[in-house]
Amino acid sequence: MRRARRGDERAFAELVRMHQEVAFRVAYLISGEEAEDALQDGVAKAWRALGRFRPGAPFRPWLLRIVANEARNRRRSAGRRAALALRAAQEDVSGDAAPSPEAAVLAAEERARLAAALDALPDAARLALACRYLLDLSEAETAAALGVRRGTVKSRVARALERLREAYG
Amino acid sequence: MAELERALRSLRVEWPETPDAASRLELAPRRPRRRLALAAGLAAAALAAALAVPQSRSAILRVLHLGGVEVVRVATLPEAEERPLAAGLGRPVGDAEAARLLGTDFLPRRHGPLYEREGFVSTLLAAPGPALLTEFGSAGLIKKVATEQGEWLEVAPGVPGIWIAGPPHVVAFPAAPPRLAGNVLVWSAGAVTFRLEGRGLARAEALRVARELAGTGPG
Repeated sequence: MRRARRGDERAFAELVRMHQEVAFRVAYLISGEEAEDALQDGVAKAWRALGRFRPGAPFRPWLLRIVANEARNRRRSAGRRAALALRAAQEDVSGDAAPSPEAAVLAAEERARLAAALDALPDAARLALACRYLLDLSEAETAAALGVRRGTVKSRVARALERLREAYG
Repeated sequence: MAELERALRSLRVEWPETPDAASRLELAPRRPRRRLALAAGLAAAALAAALAVPQSRSAILRVLHLGGVEVVRVATLPEAEERPLAAGLGRPVGDAEAARLLGTDFLPRRHGPLYEREGFVSTLLAAPGPALLTEFGSAGLIKKVATEQGEWLEVAPGVPGIWIAGPPHVVAFPAAPPRLAGNVLVWSAGAVTFRLEGRGLARAEALRVARELAGTGPG
């Protein structure tokens, strides 16, 4: 981080490479097909803004905030609601390997039903749950990605879980 | 509720493949941003809207940044008008007003009439053919969309530049519709970004002008 802040482009590229997957997925959740451009422009903006980065602060939520902002701007200018495009993939369980505890939690059709229920939630609710549970972001990272306070993430996730429970049954 | 949370965590999503943004980005030396961050954001948003051309966005090949210039290389240019170099330069301004806008004197100190639009100060030069010299502070942002790869070069020691030549490219200034542009040299010195454009502008001639302005040329 220190090297990147001093203007070392390679150090910055290394930092980006470490976090670009999660940043892209956050952008995808927010803006769908605009995600690639949002990531590219967000990374460029992060480079230009690196002088304002607070030393000692974690880089990942900072990058997520910038890329997510870019994704929101693109979604607004596109004038349409982003589709979450959530699909429950087949659990990759093969051979004699024992299924993971997570895989045992739900049968395939239940996972599909849960995915559909999540997809049907209002944007704010499904984004909060997707960040926390699909991307496994911390509360602080989710707050950065959603552009809200950490306390708002807590309450939003709690309400979203309640709505999902009602919908999913 | 804990069971529902576990169930959510067990979902597997078919994410699209992550593009390698780190490799696709060529980054110019970063310079401190001093002024008008909000204006820069608004300008960027306006430009993004101006150049929102889905068919070209889907084929972005490379992005270069230098000072207040972003160069996006695409396979197919978005639509843009052809307009004279002198069109839409803005209102006439004096040297003092230009210096206030730029945070430093306009260069060269001996120049023709100056015009200002959205913080971009321009004048027409003979270099030797007609050329448009535009200078702007770090808050400004010009977006250029080209099918040709820009060439990084060193205008002067510590002064990076990008030379774009060949087929016309598209340039978008804030608050103006995109237009076709000729050969261009952009460079960044201090907090000011310089842009020199001319249809028949030769690389050597552009560099000569840039080096004069950077204080390293013969002028």
